[in-house]
Parts: sequence; C-alpha cells; structure tokens
Amino acid sequence: MPVLWILLIVFAIAAAGYVLGARRVDALSGGDHRRLHSRTTYYGWNVALFALVPALLLLMLWLFAQPLLIERTVSSYIPDSAIAEGETRGIVLGQVRDVAGTLNRAVSEDVITDVEAANLQPDDAEVMDRLKAAELPILTTPEILGAAKAHRRMVETASTWLGIVVIALALLWAGFALWRTSPDFRARNVVEQVIRGVLIGCSCIAIATTVGIILSLVFETINFFQLYPWQAFFFGTEWTPSFGGGSELGMLPLLWGTLYISFIALLVAVPIGLFAAIYMSEYASRRVRSLAKPVIEILAGIPTIVYGLFALVTVGPLLRDWIAQPMGLGNSGSSVMTAGLVMGIMLIPFVSSLSDDIINAVPQSLRDGSLGLGSTHSETISKVVLPAALPGIVGAILLAASRAIGETMIVVLGAGAMAQISGNPFEAMTTITVKIVGQLTGDNDFASPETLVAFALGLTLFVITLALNVLALYIVRKYREQYE
Amino acid sequence: MDSAHLTERTMQTMADDIKVQARNVQVFYGDKQAIKDVDVDILDKTVTAFIGPSGCGKSTFLRCINRMNDTIPVARVEGQILLDGEDIYDRRVDPVPLRARVGMVFQKPNPFPKSIYDNVAYGPRIHGLSRNRAELDGIVEQALRGAALWDEVKDRLSEPGTGLSGGQQQRLCIARAVATAPEVLLMDEPCSALDPIATSQVEELIDQLRQDYSVVIVTHSMQQAARVSQKTAFFHLGNLVEYGDTDDIFTRPQDPRTESYISGRIG
Repeated sequence: MPVLWILLIVFAIAAAGYVLGARRVDALSGGDHRRLHSRTTYYGWNVALFALVPALLLLMLWLFAQPLLIERTVSSYIPDSAIAEGETRGIVLGQVRDVAGTLNRAVSEDVITDVEAANLQPDDAEVMDRLKAAELPILTTPEILGAAKAHRRMVETASTWLGIVVIALALLWAGFALWRTSPDFRARNVVEQVIRGVLIGCSCIAIATTVGIILSLVFETINFFQLYPWQAFFFGTEWTPSFGGGSELGMLPLLWGTLYISFIALLVAVPIGLFAAIYMSEYASRRVRSLAKPVIEILAGIPTIVYGLFALVTVGPLLRDWIAQPMGLGNSGSSVMTAGLVMGIMLIPFVSSLSDDIINAVPQSLRDGSLGLGSTHSETISKVVLPAALPGIVGAILLAASRAIGETMIVVLGAGAMAQISGNPFEAMTTITVKIVGQLTGDNDFASPETLVAFALGLTLFVITLALNVLALYIVRKYREQYE
Repeated sequence: MDSAHLTERTMQTMADDIKVQARNVQVFYGDKQAIKDVDVDILDKTVTAFIGPSGCGKSTFLRCINRMNDTIPVARVEGQILLDGEDIYDRRVDPVPLRARVGMVFQKPNPFPKSIYDNVAYGPRIHGLSRNRAELDGIVEQALRGAALWDEVKDRLSEPGTGLSGGQQQRLCIARAVATAPEVLLMDEPCSALDPIATSQVEELIDQLRQDYSVVIVTHSMQQAARVSQKTAFFHLGNLVEYGDTDDIFTRPQDPRTESYISGRIG
C-alpha cells in the first residue's frame, strides 16, 4: 500500500474521530455544555490527535528503519565471493537497489507481469528480450538478481504490513480516546499538552538544523587542517589554488577584500541611511513618510543579483571611464569601489529602516523636554534624540556590516575574482564568499585541500558575522532600557 | 498656613505686577475647539494654579504660554498672549528664545539619558549662559540647590539622571528648567507620577521658587492647589469659569460650577 494512501486513511480516521468525539460528549452532557470540563471541540481534537500522533510517529520510525533492516537482510543474500575485485559491499548493494528499481519500473509500465518479475531468472530469454525492447535491460549476476528479487519481495511485504499496523494503531488509539471521553475528562489539558509538544518540536528542528550546519562545517574544516597547515591558511598572503597540487591557500587577501569592500559599503550606507532615517522620523510630514518609507524599503526587496547586474553594466564602466582611467588608477571595470558603492546602496534600507524605528522609539517626552528648555529642533535632534538612539543605531550598523561581509553576488559581478592585497580601490579584488563559490563550483574532489578550503573559509565567515551579530544584540540590549 | 498666606497675599497685591496677560485666547485642534475665549492675568512672583476636570483645557492653555502647542501640527491658537506686554504669538517672535524665558516641567519626569550634571547643564550650554567650566559648575550647583536635590546627588553628578527615583527625577527636571534662568515656570501636573513624600518635597520647592519666578501649575488635586498657590483659575469645558485668590475660590466660589467642582459634585 503506498504511503500516501496510508496517510490519507489515517487523516480520515482522525477526522471521523473528531466528529465522533465531539458528538459523543455532546450527547453525554445532555446538551448542557456547562457540565463539560472543556469545550466540545477539545473532545473532538482529543480523539483526532490520539488517532494521528502515534500512527504518524510509527509511520516515520518505520520508514526510517525499513531501508536499514532490508539492506541488512539483502546483504546476507550476497556471498563475499560475489563481490568483484575492487568493489565494496556498498557498491554491490547499490546495484541491487538499481536492479530492483528497474524491475519495479518494468512492472508499472506493464512490460512484464508481477509474477514474471518475482520469478525472473537470468536464462529466461523471452522475458529478458521484452525488457531489452522496452529499454529496461537487466545485465547482472545471478546473485545480484536474486538479491534484487528478495529486496522487492521484502519491500512489498513491509509496505503491506506498514499499512495494516499503522491503520490499526490509529483505530485503536482513536477508539481508546473515544471510550475515555466523558464530561469530566480534562480534554483541554490533554490537547494543550500535545500542542505544546508540537511547538517545542518545531523549535527543536530549527535549533538542530543550526547545530547540524555548524558541525558539518567544523568537521570538514578539521579535515582541511589535516591536509593543510592552519598557520599558512590564516596568515598566508598568497591565494593560488590549483587542483594539480602545490596550491597556496592563504586567506588574508580574501579577508582584506571582504573588509575593504564592506568598509566602502558602510561608508556609503551609514550616512545616507542615517540621514534618511532622521528626515523620515523627525522632519517628514505624515504623508511624505507614508510614501517615502515603503519606497526606500523596496530597495531591500531587490534580489542582490540584480544589484550585481547594475554594478557590472552601469556602475563599473562609469567609474572606469570617468574616474579610474582619467586619474590613471586602473583599467578594470570590476573594482572594490564598484562593489562597495553598489553594496552600500543595497544596505541603505537596512540602516534607514532600523534607525527610523529606533529614533521613533525615543519618547516624545524627551523631545518636549528639550524644546521646552528653549533649544531648537536641530539641537534637540543632535543633543537629545540621537544620543538616546545611539546604541540602537550602532546595532543597526553592525547588522548591516554582517550583511555586507556575507554578500556574494554583488561582489562576483562588481569586484571580480582577483585575490590580491592592494590599497587602490579601483583595482579588482575578491572576497571570501566569492572564493567559496569558486572552490565548490564544478567537479569536486572532497579529499583535496583545494575543495575543503571552502569549508574553512565558510567557518571563518560564520564566526565573523556571528561575532558581529552577538555584539550588535549585546549593545542594543544593554542600552535599550535607558529611557524606559 | 493661613496667617502666613494672608500676609503674603497682601504683599502680593502691593507689588501687583502682571507677568502674562491672555486676551481672547482660543485654541483649536483641527475642527475641535479646546479653549474658548480665555482672558487671564498671571502675576509675577506668584504661584497660579489651574484646576478643573480632565479634558477641560487647562493643560492646553498652559502649553500656549510657551508655544509648546506649535509642536502639534493640527493645533491652532487665536487671540493674544502678552509676556511683559509683548505678544508672543506675534509673527516676529521666535518660539525658541521664548521657551528659554518660559520654562516648562512636564507631567512625567523626563530626564535625558545623560548624566545628572549634563541634564542640568543642557539649557545653560545651549544658551551660552557660562563662559567657562567653573561658571557652569556654579550654575548647576545653584540649580540643584534650588531644586532641593543638591545634597542627594552632589557625590554622583556623573551618574545617569535616569537612575534616580521618580521624585528625584522630577526635581532634576525642575533644576534643569531653573538652570536656564526662566522668568516664568510652567508645571503640567508635576506631581501626578509621584508618591506623597516626593509630592510634598516638590510642593515645598514650588513655594520657594515663588521668590524668583512666576509659577503656573496645572493640578488635579484641589488640596495641592490650595496648598501651593495664591491664585487659582478654574477651567470647565474649555472656558475659564472663575479666577481669583485661591482662598476665595475655595471658600467663597462665585460660580455654581466652581462650587460643584470643589465640593466634588462634578469632575
């Protein structure tokens, strides 16, 4: 029985359980719902959840365990002698799965019957020819064919039993919950408990994923440092990866490019974003504000690859033709300045939107107090409002900085891929993110340091942005209560 | 209190010196009229109390005296308010220097998130009232002494003003207003967020401030009005119903509405 069918049946049982549970308690209460401990919907949900949760849990466990168990049994069909020189048991088991899959397709496309598939022998020429004609040839050893047939048989039996057991479980628990239903039964507490469990489960998934990502980065990084000395990685000033061997994998040129471009981006984004925020929150009329704020925030919705195109097609050539070449600073359309400027534009809405919220959060009473002492509007802003909002603004800037450091597409298209350390902002440079993409694009050999270096770079980047985020949160939290 | 009050009142009538004159003042919030045709003379070196039920316009009128209503976009003021004979709503008058002359203390203590010293020094610094640090120190100390806060904070002037207790914060705000050396001090329910002990400290302070300033206080507490003021104005539904000596208002009110309010029947 296909899993989809099992799911549908279980959900149908749950739905029926909901209706029955609610009806039963309604009947038991004699129509007077004040006598019930909980509302009728809770009794319905109680039955439905009892039908659903154990059945679905079992289904999940079964589907997880079934391949492992079947693999182990199938493995016993293959004697060590059937494993060819240079092959492993894992590869042979993979072939078994492939053959079983081919047989399944042949049956579902009506090339052969189910019985023929179950009894297929390598010397069964007529059936083999039909398979060949349908472009589903089976060319394999008798041992593997036998194992594949066993594999199919077991999967079939297992899925039949899976359906029976899961549906029986759903019916059993639904029946139990229904039997337990009475006006005094605390259905609400049970249902709330289950809902709480589901909520906890969801947050655990998010946390577990984060931990998983970090662990995979850490393990690959450890592999990398076993192949390549960490001193050379962290302090090397040459980045010349070559898959033939003899690469220099120093990350300093990449770190320099990352920080240089981020610095220029912040130089653009912070003043413009901050002044825009001050205008929005302190000077703009309500009408202007309601129009201009969404327009600025549209900038945040533009995909960064579009910014990258803008950098490549417009900003890069413009800077080269009007500034770099006349001043003799370089001939490259891709440059740190191009990527930095465009990234700065991208970050404006981050800085302005966050700062705007923070400036608005400064209580009006502080502005009144300052104005009431005879200070002007601009004195009030510069001497009272901005100092009060400063911690939050610093937090906003740090968040923008961590965005800048992690940005990839604008840099690929705007700054080029030259790993070098230079002070000239009109030269092409590159960043950590770009080189991670570069090292992992194409065919990868996950045993070579040239590929594994990407994980070390990723971890470095992760640590830098994490540190910035933590610092930003710390600053925002520490000073937030000052005027409350 | 009564005998002291009486002598003071006689002194007051002798030195009858009108500081603020309001003539036909009307205030509108959009289409709604909040103040209707108010005429009142506020005397120098006197505490004047504005009383009345919530929403009667007493705070609105108070905010007219230093043009704080200018910060509300929909508010519109008509009529004349004369400060020392000069109309503050005249086209040529800039509200910024006016607010230096007419200081304000707000309902909720609103110290800036700065040190105690910087809070008090804020006004003097902006208006350039001192030429050097020593002079500024002097102004700050004098203002804090004036607000009866000096002894409590003299050892921690560099700590944030927001770390003080509610009553101390309000006295800090009064010191901040006093440091700017205003001529008139407006107080908008300065004790409504304070406990009884802090309230009595602030009230004592108001009584002292009368030596140097014209003080106008909006209050919900009739006992407070009776305790601290020499003149009382009763507002009701945007009208100034009755204005006179505090003792007269509370003992011999002329208008039936005033009598109803002070005896607790409306409000």
